[in-house]
Amino acid sequence: MQVKNFVIPENLFYDTNDYWIKVDGEEALIGMTDYGQNNTGDILYLELSQGGQRIKQGDRFGSIESGKWVGNLTAPLSGVVVDSNREVESNPRKVNTDSYGAGWMYRLKLSNPDEVGKLMAAKDYAKWVTEQINSEQEIE
Amino acid sequence: MDLYNLGAVSWWESQCFYHAMAHLGREGLIICYPSSPYVCLGLHDDLDQEIDRSYCEKSDIPIFRRETGGGVVYLDSRQVFFQLVLKRDNPQLPLRRNRYYEKFLQPAISAYRQFGVPAELKDPADIAAAGKKCSGNACGDVGDCIAYVGNILLDFDYSIMSKILRVPYPKFREHLRLAMQSNMTTLKDWINYSVSFEDLSSKLIDGFTMQWGELDPRLPDQELVDKTRDIYKKLTCNEWLEMPGRRYFNRKIKISEGVMLMERKVGLNSSAVVLVRDGKIEDFNIFGKQLMEDRLNNNLIGQEWNEDLLARIL
Repeated sequence: MQVKNFVIPENLFYDTNDYWIKVDGEEALIGMTDYGQNNTGDILYLELSQGGQRIKQGDRFGSIESGKWVGNLTAPLSGVVVDSNREVESNPRKVNTDSYGAGWMYRLKLSNPDEVGKLMAAKDYAKWVTEQINSEQEIE
Repeated sequence: MDLYNLGAVSWWESQCFYHAMAHLGREGLIICYPSSPYVCLGLHDDLDQEIDRSYCEKSDIPIFRRETGGGVVYLDSRQVFFQLVLKRDNPQLPLRRNRYYEKFLQPAISAYRQFGVPAELKDPADIAAAGKKCSGNACGDVGDCIAYVGNILLDFDYSIMSKILRVPYPKFREHLRLAMQSNMTTLKDWINYSVSFEDLSSKLIDGFTMQWGELDPRLPDQELVDKTRDIYKKLTCNEWLEMPGRRYFNRKIKISEGVMLMERKVGLNSSAVVLVRDGKIEDFNIFGKQLMEDRLNNNLIGQEWNEDLLARIL
């Protein structure tokens, strides 16, 4: 599925902070969407939470810097960080160039799987992205 | 929109007011300048990699780490700051955050132009005149707000800036100073009289008024003053300043958008200083193997830079 030039794979879940979430049993793989990385711009630095850290949905679980903007990464689900992608910390541009592959950020063991039900399916995220693009065009 | 047109403030207030507003969730514009010099790290800068702390201590130059992005800057009373704090859900804020610079920097660009300086935006966040950087800018999510901060350079001390930054050897420092002088410009380079804060701030206020409507002049109230003091303690404590940041294997200093000065080891006893502009080598100097320098210069100037280039040629 695509909105404008932004790829939105159908087999993933999404949230409004532009994360994709791939749920596999009790674990979830998390990264930034194509639309999210494009909005952020060239990513120069990533600081990811370490394995073992317990996080709650909505918590800060890392920091990101692009161009000259700095912001927080916000956890889309609650759980324990099983693994974070050290390679993407060394080369954060991977989030820009391969956001759904080598640019993944976290593997999380879910502590509240019910939260998955509140995430968006691809078609809902596509609708949300379309609304965002339209509202930005209105500001212009 | 609240306006705090503060004039001279202490060095720490020149950073802490806007942080305090952002943490209080209060939108507003601050225009001010610091009454004494200091060094300011970006959120992800690594203090020990970036700063010559002993020089700063000897020179009584305090160090601050802001919550916004960008790199190390030397700030003093010859720079006028404009700092805009907006709630993250402000409908006027474009979703693509870098794009807001286009709007945020317009008042400063307009002010420069009124002084006859041909200023223009250099993506994503510099203002340049005749290809040289004349304003440093940064932004970041702070609390529930986003803070955009920038400055207008009345004059700049390239020598002090080159001494503040940690460099691998003295000749690198000289190249750093020269690179900054060649790639930066200030109001002093363009006009032969001294610009007052009042003159500059009124031009900035006019520009921001065009964007945001009539501004509401205010003085910091007790809530803001108290929060500013709290922020000062937090953002100058050793734990915060010494927080690990991005590390590079080789020394690398951004001079302006697209211009980078780098050190690269060349064999066991030699080192090269490379100036790269928009991905291409503009200047190259090698120390320790003088005989090779001419050959390398001829081969490298104008070539596209990549990490394997030196190893391949040598």
